[in-house]
Amino acid sequence: MSTIDWVILVLTLSGIILFGVYKSKSTRSLDGYFRSNREMPWWIVLLSIMGTQASAVTFLSAPGQAYTDGMRFVQPYFGLPLAMVVLCVTFVPIFHKLKVYTAYEFLEQRFDVKTRTLTSFLFLLSRGLSTGISIYAPAIILSSLLGWNIYITNIIMGGLLIIYTVSGGAKAVAYTQQLQLIIVFVGMFLAGYMVVNMLPENVGFTDALKIGGKMGKLNVITTGFTENGFDWTDRFNIFSGVIGGFFLMLSYFGTDQSQVGRYLTAKSIRESRMGLLMNGIVKVPMQFLILMVGVLVFSFYQFNSAPIFFNEVPLNKIKNSENRDSLAVLENQFNLLTVQKKEQVTAMAAAIETGSTLQQNAASDSMHVLLERQEVLRDGVKKMIVDQGLKAESSDTNYIFIRFVVDHLPKGLIGLLIAIIFLAAWGSIAAALNSLSSATVVDFHKKFINKNLNDEQDYKVSRWYTFFWGVFCIVAAEFFTGMGSLIEAVNILGSWFYGVMLGIFLVAFYIKSIRGHAVFTAALIGEAIVISMYAFTDVGWLWLNVIGAMAVMFLAVLLQYSVFRASEKPAT
Amino acid sequence: MLENEDKPPLFKSWTSWYILVVGLLILQIILFAQLTKLYS
Repeated sequence: MSTIDWVILVLTLSGIILFGVYKSKSTRSLDGYFRSNREMPWWIVLLSIMGTQASAVTFLSAPGQAYTDGMRFVQPYFGLPLAMVVLCVTFVPIFHKLKVYTAYEFLEQRFDVKTRTLTSFLFLLSRGLSTGISIYAPAIILSSLLGWNIYITNIIMGGLLIIYTVSGGAKAVAYTQQLQLIIVFVGMFLAGYMVVNMLPENVGFTDALKIGGKMGKLNVITTGFTENGFDWTDRFNIFSGVIGGFFLMLSYFGTDQSQVGRYLTAKSIRESRMGLLMNGIVKVPMQFLILMVGVLVFSFYQFNSAPIFFNEVPLNKIKNSENRDSLAVLENQFNLLTVQKKEQVTAMAAAIETGSTLQQNAASDSMHVLLERQEVLRDGVKKMIVDQGLKAESSDTNYIFIRFVVDHLPKGLIGLLIAIIFLAAWGSIAAALNSLSSATVVDFHKKFINKNLNDEQDYKVSRWYTFFWGVFCIVAAEFFTGMGSLIEAVNILGSWFYGVMLGIFLVAFYIKSIRGHAVFTAALIGEAIVISMYAFTDVGWLWLNVIGAMAVMFLAVLLQYSVFRASEKPAT
Repeated sequence: MLENEDKPPLFKSWTSWYILVVGLLILQIILFAQLTKLYS
């Protein structure tokens, strides 16, 4: 990186920390620290929940997904607006009415202590580990790309934000997320603008989209149906997106304290609802635009040489092994195909300009053949990487966008986009630390260790737990070092627990006759079912959320009216 | 007092907001389907 990039990176990051510390002034009480005294307007709530959901992985992975697999990755977000509506109708009024700090407090009032404790524990387990991965996943990409030390990158990625998260609690988290998100959007817009700007003179924005479309990258809607019927292992299609996405988003926004804690800071039910509903309106277009940047990068690489593999670290390891000659052969063949591909894409661009469909289709057919041949060569490289014992590094999807940034964007913008990766990570990690602390203090410390704390003691204990979770997540990130890319793991880990947690809440809200023993036992069995489904079947991870929630609801009813019929009378 | 605080902006009821959110989702899916068809 150049000096100007370093200056921009350091200035942006220190600016955010100073802003966070400046906004840290909160009442020295539990309410001030975890709920910002419930004084936030809806637009801060909106930016806060968006900043919590959009992690570094969102901006690293999504454009790469569009590059390799097309834009169908937008479909899991179709369930989000529907989930926002259900939250506004059911969850928000109850959480506000009961004035809870954590979502799990409600479960004690509805069921019993053990159900509350189990659900809060599942949250701490999944969020604690996934926050460690959220630190490590972008850190490993930046460290391998820029040659930084991974252990130090982990500490910067997860450590600096602790300064304002510990001192300012939910208020500092919300205000910094607002600024972080603005910088992220500006940076992504500039990146998209620059890609179009770097295309050949006669190729504009819509031409780039047409080229991407001809190559199958604008597959925004897919059905998941094949000649053999519906493919349940297909990860992203309209059905898994609407149904699986709905359950995933309802679990995430309704039962994950890192999100619940954001809309509990709103000054009224109205402000919470508006924040969530506006999120339901803007999230899908936002995801669509991020993916579109990936399609533009794809079109850019049709006119320019792309590396055979976007992650240089495993590639360099092969270059230093006995396979170096085989790799050189593959690279030569790949480069020859790139030259032919450039000729075809130039012909396609000319055909788009003249409006000749026949010539467009002819060029498109040739490009498909060339791309397939290049893919075969890339598979050869991936096999070499696996043979080298680097299986975890055999996918380069998450390296595509950042590789493009470092190789092609002008000085200054590189620093800004690296800063974006940090800021996006900080936004979600800060909210996670705040929520981990609130669940530990409210659901465990004040419940089982010391109930009689005054406001000042509450405040101090909360700060210490925030600090503890910050350190825990960095240690977890350091532990994950050496385990390869774990980006997919964040989503998979969430899906192990979210369905079951949602099932407990859905029983609480909608099946009034079910009592504590039944739902607790159903949750334990449901968790075992979800883990077994993941271990022994190929079901796409989005469906695990549906399976977990349905299993808990079904089993809770079954158990209530069989095993626990005599021991616990259902409410009438 | 609480009822006033919970009154939605722009519309008379929250149901109208919910219809707007779901309606926009349906509109986006239709547009995306057209986009997929048009550019394939």
